[in-house]
Amino acid sequence: MSISLVLLPLAVAAVAAAQGVSAARDRQGRMVCQVQTRMRDETLLAAALHDTAAVVSVDRDAITADWTGVRASFQRGADGIWSAHFTGEVDEEQAVEVVRAVDAAYGRQVQQAVLERLRQQAPAAGLRLESEQVTEDASVRLVFAVEGRS
Amino acid sequence: MAGRPRIVITVDSSGMVSAETRDILGDRCLDYVGVLEDLLTATAVSSAYTADHARTTTTVRQEDRDVERA
Repeated sequence: MSISLVLLPLAVAAVAAAQGVSAARDRQGRMVCQVQTRMRDETLLAAALHDTAAVVSVDRDAITADWTGVRASFQRGADGIWSAHFTGEVDEEQAVEVVRAVDAAYGRQVQQAVLERLRQQAPAAGLRLESEQVTEDASVRLVFAVEGRS
Repeated sequence: MAGRPRIVITVDSSGMVSAETRDILGDRCLDYVGVLEDLLTATAVSSAYTADHARTTTTVRQEDRDVERA
């Protein structure tokens, strides 16, 4: 028998791209809008933020991203998933829109990371790359010949 | 007859991965679930058997016989 699978990289949590939106005022009375993401990997998140033309600073506990007129602090939760905290004149709709843009860039970073790992690690798993093509929807399709197992 | 065993992997721009084994007959295809999870650092979230499900490797024996023609 043969089998088809859908696999989710560990860098991506099995939740919606932008969820759990909430808004509240901080101690200084500023509006803070929080959006939960599905992103787990700090390096890929920072790269995705750069891809959205943000000015990025990485600290020990947070990643701060500045766009023109918008600032977000990304913080990692106990579950290892990052959430975005927007301070200032950003409403919930705008915050979700920004997180969705970052998530799209993050997805492309995950795609490249997975492809790089596949190309490097597949031979050790007995798989020889036969062909690789980019499809119209920007997916990448790789065909591997199975060697040494079957 | 089975073709050459292959695995087709598609990685979309959201990071999701789909994979399909081809011409890997019998239970051996199930071995590749773990192989792919390790290789991709990923977790299988759904799976389904394909059209190869019922196929098995068969050996066709051909016998030559002398047939007495009328």
